[in-house]
Amino acid sequence: MSFGTVSMMLGKSFLLNCQIFFVTLLFALPLGLLISFGSMSRIKPLSWFSRLYIYLMRSTPLMLQLAVVFYLPGYLNPSHGLSRMTAACIAFVLNYAAYFSEIFRGGILGIPKGQQEAGQVLGMTKGQIFCHITLLQLVKRIVPPIGNEVITLVKDTSLANFIMVKEIIAMAKEFGNKAMIWPLFYTGVFFLIFNGIVTMLLNRTERKLSYFQ
Amino acid sequence: MSILEVNHIEKNFGATKVLKDISFTLEEGQALSIIGSSGSGKTTLLRCLNFLETPSSGSISVRGETLFDAADSRTQTESAIRKKRLHFGLVFQNFNLFPQYTALQNVTLARMLQAKETGESKESIETAGMELLSQMGLANRANHYPHQLSGGQQQRVAIARALALHPDILCFDEPTSALDPELTGEVLRVIRDLAEKKTTMIIVTHEMNFARDVSDQLIFMDGGVIVEQGDPYQIINNPREKRTRQFLSHYAEK
Repeated sequence: MSFGTVSMMLGKSFLLNCQIFFVTLLFALPLGLLISFGSMSRIKPLSWFSRLYIYLMRSTPLMLQLAVVFYLPGYLNPSHGLSRMTAACIAFVLNYAAYFSEIFRGGILGIPKGQQEAGQVLGMTKGQIFCHITLLQLVKRIVPPIGNEVITLVKDTSLANFIMVKEIIAMAKEFGNKAMIWPLFYTGVFFLIFNGIVTMLLNRTERKLSYFQ
Repeated sequence: MSILEVNHIEKNFGATKVLKDISFTLEEGQALSIIGSSGSGKTTLLRCLNFLETPSSGSISVRGETLFDAADSRTQTESAIRKKRLHFGLVFQNFNLFPQYTALQNVTLARMLQAKETGESKESIETAGMELLSQMGLANRANHYPHQLSGGQQQRVAIARALALHPDILCFDEPTSALDPELTGEVLRVIRDLAEKKTTMIIVTHEMNFARDVSDQLIFMDGGVIVEQGDPYQIINNPREKRTRQFLSHYAEK
């Protein structure tokens, strides 16, 4: 099989990795923010629930979570079931939201209380204080740790092959079954290029936010 | 009628009584200085007036309108408080400027947000903001970010920011305690100017000479109570209470 054909087939399956990546970012970031609010809430049951959620998601393997999201619905009720990709996306969103929420929580707690108070004495609402004062300072603080997670996420997407999603590593293993081992090594290039772009964007964001301290 | 009436304010943090039966009045156009050692409750009192703390009991009235009454929970809903706190402005010890905004944006932000209700134009808000910065001697710093300004300049921006909303009473919480002596002077000059323009002010400060010269009324607090209040010259030069004399003697040594 030619290099071109292998590249094409790997590239195609890498689109699944990209899909999981973008869906996870799109949903896990806002969900993580909500969970961070929950974990900091003065409403006891809400903060208790949020912390339990974070504990469960961070303390069990992502592989296991993938298996639970994919197999459990069908196990409980055989007429129900999720597609492999849907299950993978849900598991990734749930897992990453937990990590993101802790980063958000750390970021919010790190902003001096005086910032919020300055907004309060100027008659701003809680929403205005969050949108116009806290948010940008929060973004600036969390770009480095979130960047770490985002880069990890790119690589973690290949864990979806545990529930038979035919992402790039799964595809490379199929080549391996046909006694072609080099496509597996070749997959590294896809991850390197993708994370190269991610790293560049993260650096650019950091630079853009360096106008204030 | 007094512009501000504070009646029997108490504040407890758990079992600790931080403020005990604080009452005073303030007349329009006058400056009131509050002195006292750290932990005497002066900052907590200022924070109560600005609704950053909720008094455990007592009431606060401005121009005869009861803004807060510990016995009446209707005065304590969030939206009610948000409107009422605009009677007061607060200048913090640590400035608390918003780092992502320029000096001018810091001054105009709150009014820009209010413009949705007031219908005020962006231009007129910015003109007013520039005017305030000029008043503070900072016209040429309008587009600087806080980290590009000295402490004294930052504090003057913070004063302009508080003035932008035309509060009835402007409060200062140790406005020069985070500044070195050289920068202290420029901030005190600005406050002195405001006093000459008959801005109603409450100033918590450790600058005794300044408090004596600039204010019309002085309060000495200790252990959460008002030990002595009255004419600044009389209290600082000739205090009646032993505790006041003790406190002031620390300044005389310097």
